[in-house]
Amino acid sequence: MLLHLGGIQKRFGGVTALKNGSLSVRQGEVHLLLGENGAGKSTLMKIVAGLIAPDGGTFEWRGSPVRFRAPVEAAAHGIAMVHQESLLAPHLTIAENLFLGREEVCRAGLLKRSRMRERAAALIAQHKFPLQADWRVEKLTPAGKQLVEICRAVVSGSSLMIFDEPTSSLSESETREVFRIVRELRERGMAVIYITHRLEELRAVGDRVTILRDGETVHTAPLGEITNDEIIRQMVGREMSALYHREPAKVGEELLRVERISRKPLVKEVSLTLRAGEITGLAGLVGAGRSEFCRAVFGVDHADSGQVYIAGKPVEINSPRQAVQAGLALIPEDRQHYGLATLRPVGENISLASLPLVSTFGFLNQRAERRIIDTYMARLRIRAGSPKQLAGRLSGGNQQKAVIAKWVARRARVFLFDEPTRGIDVGAKAEVFQVMDELARSGAAILMVSSEIPELLQMADRILVMRQGRISGELPGRTTPEQIMRLAALETTTSEFAS
Amino acid sequence: MIQRLLPFLTLIVLFVGLTIASPFFLTQTNLSSVVRQTAVINIMALGMTLIIIAGGIDLSVGSILALGGLLGTMAMAQGYPIWVGIGVGVLAGLACGLANGVLTTQLNINPFIVTLGTMGIVRGLALIISNGLPVHQIPPRFSFLGEGTLFGLPFVLWVLLLCAVAMHILLENTRLGRHSFAIGSNPDAAYYAGIPVKFDTTIVYAIGGLLTGLAGMIEASRLMTGQPTAGNGYELQAIAAVVIGGGSLRGGEGSVVGTLIGAFIMGLLSNGSDLLGISPYVQQAIIGAVIILAVTFDELRKRKMTA
Ligand SMILES: Nc1ncnc2c1ncn2[C@@H]1O[C@H](COP(=O)(O)OP(=O)(O)OP(=O)(O)O)[C@@H](O)[C@H]1O
Ligand SMILES: [Mg+2]
Repeated sequence: MLLHLGGIQKRFGGVTALKNGSLSVRQGEVHLLLGENGAGKSTLMKIVAGLIAPDGGTFEWRGSPVRFRAPVEAAAHGIAMVHQESLLAPHLTIAENLFLGREEVCRAGLLKRSRMRERAAALIAQHKFPLQADWRVEKLTPAGKQLVEICRAVVSGSSLMIFDEPTSSLSESETREVFRIVRELRERGMAVIYITHRLEELRAVGDRVTILRDGETVHTAPLGEITNDEIIRQMVGREMSALYHREPAKVGEELLRVERISRKPLVKEVSLTLRAGEITGLAGLVGAGRSEFCRAVFGVDHADSGQVYIAGKPVEINSPRQAVQAGLALIPEDRQHYGLATLRPVGENISLASLPLVSTFGFLNQRAERRIIDTYMARLRIRAGSPKQLAGRLSGGNQQKAVIAKWVARRARVFLFDEPTRGIDVGAKAEVFQVMDELARSGAAILMVSSEIPELLQMADRILVMRQGRISGELPGRTTPEQIMRLAALETTTSEFAS
Repeated sequence: MIQRLLPFLTLIVLFVGLTIASPFFLTQTNLSSVVRQTAVINIMALGMTLIIIAGGIDLSVGSILALGGLLGTMAMAQGYPIWVGIGVGVLAGLACGLANGVLTTQLNINPFIVTLGTMGIVRGLALIISNGLPVHQIPPRFSFLGEGTLFGLPFVLWVLLLCAVAMHILLENTRLGRHSFAIGSNPDAAYYAGIPVKFDTTIVYAIGGLLTGLAGMIEASRLMTGQPTAGNGYELQAIAAVVIGGGSLRGGEGSVVGTLIGAFIMGLLSNGSDLLGISPYVQQAIIGAVIILAVTFDELRKRKMTA
């Protein structure tokens, strides 16, 4: 046995992250680690990678007990981790990030810059990632950063590689490349631990699966001996269907009309109309300009041309503030960065956009605010010690839910959901879908941007497809994945990964 | 928990220690002089707390204090009533703060740089207007602001309490306060949430300036002069008070109670050193060490919560 964890415990102040985390990983296997948001997956893996110390339990590496006090010690044993949240240095280039902490130096102690850049470029080329070694990391999209994290781990790992939700922001083709990397690592005899919430990708890579629930390991089995339904049941602890079924609501009047909006370089004369009660899907490949379109409508980026109409009236939107006042809400794609004040309590994050609803003359009504917070924490099943817990201390998926809660709490009329289900577990996905459905039924118009085609098919009344900055077609809600892909597909070019 | 209370415990220990060490400490004269000395820094530090929470910093407060005090006393010297003079000083502070806010938000320049610049400009203004000479012709009754007593307590203590309560309410119970925390901890998220980031930031600096103007009038009242050179180095003391009290220069953190405790710790340190005959040179070093210690403990506490 390469790695053996038994009865691992970890508390953070009043929050118990792990009660009884157990996991055994053999050499040359891909081990899936599954569980709901906040089940303790990332915490368990951070213990293995030496980022945090366990409070109790046994931790054996190649048969002998170990205890890592820092990530370098884990790295010295050949353990590398691709993190859920980006841990890159934004102002450095991709190459500099790849070699951060293990720079190559010449005898005089100076950096071998060109050699490192060449090696980085070779690595990127080998995996056909649409990146360039001398790009600065801050310019990358979440997907681009994820690819850099993966390269970084490939550079450093040698025995065990941990992937914490590597594909949550990636496109189809990159996801396939990640799978290829994982298989290649396994062939080289390395072990891989793989965390994901995308059940459909399990069978593509995994050998065995371990399921965590509420900080406890509840099940371990070879993947061939367990069905998806059983996996879900073990994860959530009750019967549940992975499929959400939505009945279309009555479609009302037009709420948002966008006419020929353009924003260089990615949005080209996009027009669309959203109606009350309707969920409109927006499909497309990563880099097709969907997020950029949302940002332009929401006033984050100024549109070069085009006109937005709210309920038939032309409006000028030059900042998110004006958008919010016009009744728009954007649930942004990069929620860590644009959505969350990590050092503030979850509760405050949730009520942040709704403060006008709970204040008079600028003074907050604490009870009304508390009511909003409690309602939406419960509705989206946000797992936190209390509303006072700092948002940055929530598990990744619960952070996502907090941002969504912030926007649904603010009673907007038009919602732009950019990848709403990214990083959240099956149970929470159903909750988010339910909330979207209720919003639509109560007369809101919803644009659902998603790269998860099955989810669009479940939720959308009609589906628009974007390709290279333009709407390439409209399909009815009951269409097929093939139809969508046909309208979306076109080879991506490298420039689409930097903004 | 114990570490959270550390600044408060330090204050108590200092207080008890000084009571034992010096017979002159626990006397009404001495205590009220500590309060009067600290009040000026304290009131400035309240504004600084707000600014630091919103992710900013204001290095120009020492200069603003001088300009406010100077203009206020000049008005009185011109024969205007005392309350008008005080109003002039406070408004001068407000105007300077507003300028800081507008410059940082409109030019999009780091507030450290902007206020480093205005620190020089405002000080220069004070020196030019006064020709470098202090104002002396001040009505004697003006001394009540800094030296008077109301209900048995120094009048400035009442002013300080009023400001502290107002700032506490602003931070905890108003939208502006909540926005400040949000802007300080993640300006992007605040912007996306539809918060008027620039407007709120400008107001924050203006409030800081207003409180500094008031502190300038108190300082002038205590000295009974309008000094163009007053308040030199006060900006660092105000920042230190905020930081000792748990404020973070990265923004998003800080509290009124913490800042009050921080300012009083520094006040007691310098008062105690005076009473015990420790030289002012050593005092400086002690205060510097306390700042570093306080921040270290605060960081340790935070790290313990994360790791
Ligand atoms: N630094 C921390 N301080 C306090 N609580 C924490 C901290 N890190 C994690 N937690 C808590 O521990 C629990 C487990 O978190 P963890 O990140 O391991 O979940 P996860 O299984 O990775 O979830 P996800 O699928 O959402 O990424 C959560 O309830 C979380 O709030
Ligand atoms: Mg996680």
